[in-house]
Amino acid sequence: MSGRVLDLFKPFEAYLPEVIAPERPVPYKQKLIWTGVSLLVFLVLGQIPLYGIVSSETSDPLYWLRAMLASNRGTLMELGVSPIITSSMIFQFLQGTQLLQVNMENKQDRELYQIAQKVFAILLTFGQAIVVVLTGNYGKPSDLGLAISLLLIFQLIFASFTVLLLDELLSKGYGLGSGISLFTATNIAEQITWKAFAPTTVNVGRGQEFEGAVIALFHLLAIRKDKKRALVEAFYRENLPNMFQVFSTIGVFLSVLYLQGFRYELPIKSTRTRGQYGSYPIKLFYTSNTPIMLQSALTSNIFLISQILYQRFSTNPLVKLLGVWGTRAGAPAGQQVALSGLSYYIQPPFSVTDALLDPIKTVVYVGFVLGACALFSKTWIEISGTSPRDVAKQFKDQGLTINGKRETNVYKELKKIIPTAAAFGGAVIGALSVGSDLLGTLGSGTSILMATTTIYGYYEVAAKEGGFTKNLVSGFSEMM
Amino acid sequence: MDSSVPGGQRTLQKRRNAQLQKEKKANQTPASPRQAGFGGSSSSILKLYTDEANGLRVDPLVVLFLAVAFVFSVVALHVVAKVSGKIF
Repeated sequence: MSGRVLDLFKPFEAYLPEVIAPERPVPYKQKLIWTGVSLLVFLVLGQIPLYGIVSSETSDPLYWLRAMLASNRGTLMELGVSPIITSSMIFQFLQGTQLLQVNMENKQDRELYQIAQKVFAILLTFGQAIVVVLTGNYGKPSDLGLAISLLLIFQLIFASFTVLLLDELLSKGYGLGSGISLFTATNIAEQITWKAFAPTTVNVGRGQEFEGAVIALFHLLAIRKDKKRALVEAFYRENLPNMFQVFSTIGVFLSVLYLQGFRYELPIKSTRTRGQYGSYPIKLFYTSNTPIMLQSALTSNIFLISQILYQRFSTNPLVKLLGVWGTRAGAPAGQQVALSGLSYYIQPPFSVTDALLDPIKTVVYVGFVLGACALFSKTWIEISGTSPRDVAKQFKDQGLTINGKRETNVYKELKKIIPTAAAFGGAVIGALSVGSDLLGTLGSGTSILMATTTIYGYYEVAAKEGGFTKNLVSGFSEMM
Repeated sequence: MDSSVPGGQRTLQKRRNAQLQKEKKANQTPASPRQAGFGGSSSSILKLYTDEANGLRVDPLVVLFLAVAFVFSVVALHVVAKVSGKIF
């Protein structure tokens, strides 16, 4: 029974493009170059507008998902990395819940699993590209004409395909880390930088003002007579990025970096060589940014469904219970936000005053985020193969045991620590996200957390491979 | 003393070890994020393709060239549309 579903994907094997793995390890400097060039290509793809668009000025239904999927509206990166992420998430859930049985010890099975994942990603790309164009995202299909519609679909498909290959290229060992997380983090960093330093001007009724917060600070200080009020204005102006947000972004960034170092160290010793000791670190952020990613994927999907339903059947009481949508002051300009219903309670508040005005909503929201993150974190360790059982097996394979414990007790000991660490770490990451949403950082709390954890991951990899720091997590690596 | 292998027990031990190593290499799982690139217990949601399948094999340089060619063709389309003043 096991391989039957997977075997369906077997015929695709010969036709799927596959980047050749490097024959020998790529030197660190070359890795940097590959990573840089791929990133450059990705950034260019995210800037070039699609050819043939009439307009894309409608309210953006995917607004909540954009940051997560590294996509830019109206550009070749309209789909971003969403097909890849979606397919990999679906397959990991299928595998983790044993619905799809894959024997990861078997090379044949592993290959098929990857082929299936890729085929699914490509299918999703086709589907999404067609849906995006046909739903009139770029103007009505009848106005565009068949040729342009096809051309748009082709561009979207080819761009996603390029990203798929670039990601594979990086993760096959030519680059550092995984392409997808690199692209996402870069996209978020780009948005934050733009909000802080944008040189564009906007007129909000009090003369021209710069959009970028830092530039606006100097501009206001230079042109206003009353310096104190200029300073207050630069720090607390509404609707445009302000200096307060810049500082809270930096604050969140630093606190995540600080918390990354928190870990519980298990003293371990080798069972093969006498006298070899080390420590196995169990981090507070055991599951890294995964819980917050899953939580935001969940909420954005609820928002998406609720918005579409509300547009179609705005009088249905059940649909209204799910969410009532409209524009509101204090929300991002021109963006539909939830006004009541379930969606309202899981939507982050826009500011501290907003949170104080409706304390019930705030409490529900905080409870939901913390609970969801802790839960997702706990399930994730089972799915991703970092559960106590897997770690115990890893210990056994490498001939390690916890100091002062029998080899058979390793699992029991790990079972005490790991799930607690995972759940608590998930809750902490959720709390950080809520905190940064309340402070009002540039970009949402989720996206900043994702960017920071990814950047830290890269720092770790670079430190390990480049060797510019001795050892971030000391002990374990020497024994391996 | 009639062991069939020259070197006796020790050679057998060595051979067994070598065989074990070979098997280990063949069955190696890149499933753990540590081996696949990201260190420590910070496993990311994005598992990596690290295995070799026998598909249509592409050189990484080809991927880059294709990507750049694609970008240029779209830019060229934009330019042509601007110059000729109409779409198609």
